[in-house]
Amino acid sequence: MEFIISILAGVLFATAIYNLLQKQFLRLVIGSVLLSHGAHLFLLTMGELKRGNPPILTEGVSDYADPLPQALILTSIVISFGITSLLLVLAYRTAEENNTDNMEQLRGNENE
Amino acid sequence: MIFTVLIPLLLACFIPFISKFKHKVHTGIFVLLIPLIIFIYFIQFAGSGFEPVRHTYNWIPSLDINFDFHLDGLSLLFALLISGIGALVVLYSIYYLDRSEPLGHFYVYLMMFMSAMLGIVLSDNVFVLYTFWELTSISSFLLIGYWHFNERSRYGALKSMMITIFGGLSMFGGFALLSVITGTTSIQAMIAKTDAILASPYMPLALGFLLLGAFSKSAQFPFHIWLPDAMEAPTPVSAYLHSATMVKAGLYLVARFSPVFGNFEWFFIIVSIAGIVTLCWGSYMAVHQTDLKAILAYSTISQLGMIMAMLGFGTKAAIFAAVFHILNHATFKGSLFMVAGTVDHETGTRDIRKLGGLLTFMPITATFALFGTFSMAGIPLPFLNGFYSKELFFKSTIKLQDGMSATASILVDIIPYLAVLGSIFTFVYSLYFLFGTFGGKTQLDKLSKKPHEAPPGMLVSPGILVLGVILIGLFPSVVNGTFIAHAAEAVYGEQVVKDIYFWHGWDAPAFRMSLVVVGLGAVLTATRTRWNGIYQVLPGKLSANKVYDTIMGKLDSYSRKITTFYMTGSLRTYIAIILSTIVVVTFGFMLATGGFTIDFSNLAPVTVIEVAVALMITAAAVGTIYAKKNLAAVLIVGVAGYGVALLFVIYRAPDLALTQLVVETVSVALFLLCFYHLPELRKQSEPLGKKTINAIVSVSFGAMVTMIGISAHSSDWFGTISDYFLETSHSLGGGDNVVNVILVDMRGLDTLFEITVLGIAALAIYTLIKLKTNKGGK
Amino acid sequence: MSNLAVLPIIIPLIAGIILAFFPKWLTLVRILSKIFIIGNLAVVSFAAWLVFNQGSIILETGDWAAPYGIIIVADQLSILLVLTTNVVAAACAFYAPHSLSDRKEKYYFYTFFFMLISGVSGAFLTGDIFNMFVFFEVLLMASYGLIVLGGDKVQLRESMKYVFINLFSSMLFVTAVGFLYGAVGTVNMAQIAQRVQEVDQQGILTTVGILLFFVFAVKAALFPLYYWMPKSYAVPNPVISALFGALLTKVGIYAIIRIFSLIFVHKIELTHEAFIWISGLSMIFGVLGALSTNNIKLIIAYNIIPAIGFILMGIAVFNQDGVSGSIYYLIHDMLIKASLFLLAGTIAYAAGSSDLRKFSGLIHYYPFLGWMLFVSGFVLAGIPPFSGFIGKVLLLRGALAAEEIAIVIIALLSSLLILYSIMKIFIRGFWGEKDESFQPKSIKGRTVPVVVLLALSVFLGIGAEFIYPSIESISKYLLNPAEYINAVMEG
Repeated sequence: MEFIISILAGVLFATAIYNLLQKQFLRLVIGSVLLSHGAHLFLLTMGELKRGNPPILTEGVSDYADPLPQALILTSIVISFGITSLLLVLAYRTAEENNTDNMEQLRGNENE
Repeated sequence: MIFTVLIPLLLACFIPFISKFKHKVHTGIFVLLIPLIIFIYFIQFAGSGFEPVRHTYNWIPSLDINFDFHLDGLSLLFALLISGIGALVVLYSIYYLDRSEPLGHFYVYLMMFMSAMLGIVLSDNVFVLYTFWELTSISSFLLIGYWHFNERSRYGALKSMMITIFGGLSMFGGFALLSVITGTTSIQAMIAKTDAILASPYMPLALGFLLLGAFSKSAQFPFHIWLPDAMEAPTPVSAYLHSATMVKAGLYLVARFSPVFGNFEWFFIIVSIAGIVTLCWGSYMAVHQTDLKAILAYSTISQLGMIMAMLGFGTKAAIFAAVFHILNHATFKGSLFMVAGTVDHETGTRDIRKLGGLLTFMPITATFALFGTFSMAGIPLPFLNGFYSKELFFKSTIKLQDGMSATASILVDIIPYLAVLGSIFTFVYSLYFLFGTFGGKTQLDKLSKKPHEAPPGMLVSPGILVLGVILIGLFPSVVNGTFIAHAAEAVYGEQVVKDIYFWHGWDAPAFRMSLVVVGLGAVLTATRTRWNGIYQVLPGKLSANKVYDTIMGKLDSYSRKITTFYMTGSLRTYIAIILSTIVVVTFGFMLATGGFTIDFSNLAPVTVIEVAVALMITAAAVGTIYAKKNLAAVLIVGVAGYGVALLFVIYRAPDLALTQLVVETVSVALFLLCFYHLPELRKQSEPLGKKTINAIVSVSFGAMVTMIGISAHSSDWFGTISDYFLETSHSLGGGDNVVNVILVDMRGLDTLFEITVLGIAALAIYTLIKLKTNKGGK
Repeated sequence: MSNLAVLPIIIPLIAGIILAFFPKWLTLVRILSKIFIIGNLAVVSFAAWLVFNQGSIILETGDWAAPYGIIIVADQLSILLVLTTNVVAAACAFYAPHSLSDRKEKYYFYTFFFMLISGVSGAFLTGDIFNMFVFFEVLLMASYGLIVLGGDKVQLRESMKYVFINLFSSMLFVTAVGFLYGAVGTVNMAQIAQRVQEVDQQGILTTVGILLFFVFAVKAALFPLYYWMPKSYAVPNPVISALFGALLTKVGIYAIIRIFSLIFVHKIELTHEAFIWISGLSMIFGVLGALSTNNIKLIIAYNIIPAIGFILMGIAVFNQDGVSGSIYYLIHDMLIKASLFLLAGTIAYAAGSSDLRKFSGLIHYYPFLGWMLFVSGFVLAGIPPFSGFIGKVLLLRGALAAEEIAIVIIALLSSLLILYSIMKIFIRGFWGEKDESFQPKSIKGRTVPVVVLLALSVFLGIGAEFIYPSIESISKYLLNPAEYINAVMEG
């Protein structure tokens, strides 16, 4: 099963990157969201998947899922959320100032 | 001894204050004291019983970089030249530079140079020597750019800096290499370890590095091109830096290291060829110049080449002659530069085509010029020092040892002829300089001022130098015993006893060579205008200057072309290049280290529901690429996000699932909010090629991370540290939800700063929305 | 006493939070920010003094013993870098009011500023690789806040590129940390090092290491991953450029130094040989970039790339002299880049343009500014007796001892071209005829911080004897990872 999730995460990376290589802001932001999903799934796979119970200690259970990756993912999810929100607003403001949502039209020149 | 080196630098700090009074007293008068004191200090060491003196002052002892001042014969000769000529040049400058000029700057640079130059010749530590070396380049740069409102000055200053610092850095590389080979930073200690150096496979490289430094500083062909342009500096500077002292630093370096490399055949070959070629080319080109200072510049180049060649020969006689000529050249060339400066000062031009017949107006200056040029030309007269060293030079060219390889023997055979050839042109330009300026008809209408003799003060310095020319010529053995023998000993490594005679007899080969030079030289001088056309053929359009200009021009244009080629400003290009690099290199490493491993044991069983969720996420992820409406795209992303949350549930991570759900919901809302006003997604209109590249990059990157992920999972060498968390969560952490305990306790710092990140993001978003550009605001 | 290790992270955090509450009271904010940064500098100096005299300060946060909790490791390298960070930050704090508009200052400049310091210090000090990711995010988020500050067209445009590329590398960071955890089952750097050593860095580990290298190389702006950097560093306000140029890329190279001297040191013939190439190419392309433009801010920004190349070169040769050289150069470059960015900002302000073709002869009006630039050029190019020289001597000796001749030649040539790129500003911008109609502006407050930074740079060269022994001991320490591992693992 871990391999399937690894492949899924790989697919998320690939589609994320394909989106990041596009021009429109929205696609770029979507790409970054998919990218974080991919990263989190990888992190999750690194603990042993689906072995034991959720890591909430209960009497009589000695087998739990690996709690550390979960803690790390949680931190990462929150951070990614912060970045995504910032990106959204940044994209919105950039589009507003520059009158375009096309990244290729925002190359700029040397002396500004 | 450190005081002599630092005094000019330290006192230079006060010069700007003194120069406030320059309208009452010329700043130079104060400055004059400095070189005088130093000269008096060093002259005390001179004498036949001279022994090397050594003083050490710590700077960075832990790196073995210290002020180890080693005063031997060679250093002493240079120190006296630096302070002596320095004093004369400062004296001369008092009359040459008007008080309306920024004198403070001038003297600060000049004193900076004097410190640096003394530092070069006294330092035994290679890195300290390099420090001073670059300081001379810097002060030379500033002095050439003294009149920086002239385009030519700026050009010349940059050129000299680029070439000499290029050489300096190369020499630095050589020093670093030598210090790695020998484990010491002291030149004397390196000389003691000559065998180790010669045995090292990197010795030729070290030699090459050092010679590049020496050749560029001493204006050897083809690095000579900076020197003529350096003539944009005020004439006292040309006399001092660009003929008497700084340009001899390269010679000094070669001389210093000749005990190490002297026995290496390629040292002989390279240095001799460089020297002889420079001698011939410099003197040949000097005849073609029309600016007095340009003639002298090329003459300096040629004379430096001659000394360089002698250092390359490496025989006892040659080294003796080289050291002797260093002194002689400083005297006659110094005086000639001052003559050129005086002529410029009194007539308003240095163009030899406008000059002529000045003998009647400036008889004293003309006399100085006569002695200077005749000495330079090597005319056989017993009171001209130039003749003695020229004669010794000829003698050394025919006394070169045989028994070397074929290349070296050919060289040995042709050197005497080239020496004569170069000297013939030396003769020609010397007389051309003299007669072009002082002989012939006057052309008063072409001069901006009516010429008259220079003020007496201005004549003192060249006068003293000419006196030197004569005295050395009359009493060569006095100079020999006091300075030259010690200096030559320091270079050669053992005692050099040479007597200097004027007369060697009619059949002495060197004398015959001199006669050929004078005879042919006289003929060529007389017929100069008839063979002048030869310069159309050689150099014709060839010129090392063009090479420099081309390199600098191309550097600008190519750097621009290359940089704008890949710095397109396009995010897509950037990401594509960055990702392809990562993919290629990482795959390379995976192959090289056999990193890919796959292990099918220890896997969780596959169930239908997970596969279904995985397929759903895949479909959603791929779907984002094809979505054509904002709303659709955002919703599809939402599906992927919720899918991931489902996976979290399946994989026993309830906290994650919860968080993911909340975050996903808020994100989708934000997406909708922000993109409500934006244009709709357009159809991908890119050409197929671009699309293919995008696809290749993204798929290969995805494949790469998947492979690494599988390998990392399959590498099961160690247990995880998580077991500890499970064990202690309740007892030490006081909670049963292990993930929560980790977040708030074991890894509480992560959580604190995760919240900080959110906080900063919130502020940044607030700023973004609120702080819009106000036209008119800053 | 070990709590001292976390103070350089916490003090700026608290300062940032406090200053966020009353951003509009500018006078108070300015005074407080100076007090905070000076106070922090004092604390860090004291901590540094302790570390250098009594050994590393190790803090187990929340009293969770290594390798289970997050460990803060104030060793000589990290505390020295934190100290330099605070020096640069202090200079910027004093420069900021002169260069930023009141509006920008009011929009939380100082909060972002302190958060940046906190994140940078945290990244230097942490001994936990996931925690390092978190601190990277703190400093990046603060930098996003700073780079968009002002919000004009150009700035927003370059911010987009900056944010996307950094976001990508952050996500790759998390992924790589995950891979590492999958392979060795821990996120504590000392324990990772221990475990990697036990299995002799076999299998996928080198590949994961290279992935991490790329994550940091993107932040460090190494070839060929620096595309995002020059423009985005050149467009914001000089004070922000100075912070970015001096601190952000250096965090990346620090992480490379740390990871590739502590953890991935068992396949040096592969990994570090690749670094030689990357460092050489960084030098060449970086300096070509610097020569390609007439925009003085861009010239400085491009000059970051070869400097990072120099630092990587010492790590690549991986011997005593090389590593010492890298660290010396790192400290030197933090100081001189900050002062050059501030200087370029001042020049652009004084001249009214950052385009070299639009001004000349400034020396007649701003002699002091001109001479500062002149000296900076030599400091930057490593001309003795200034600080770059000491670093360069060490780097060259290290590379020559490792028989890497090609990189030495590239390094020497690029030094020449670096000098040329700065002297171009001096010759074209400062030399030349006096323009009588020119109206000079007052630049008094802007020069003082630059003077301080420049003086420190000069001292770093001339007073090398006071500094080099510490650098040497750091390099010995880095070349012997067991020392770090033992210090952390045995508490």
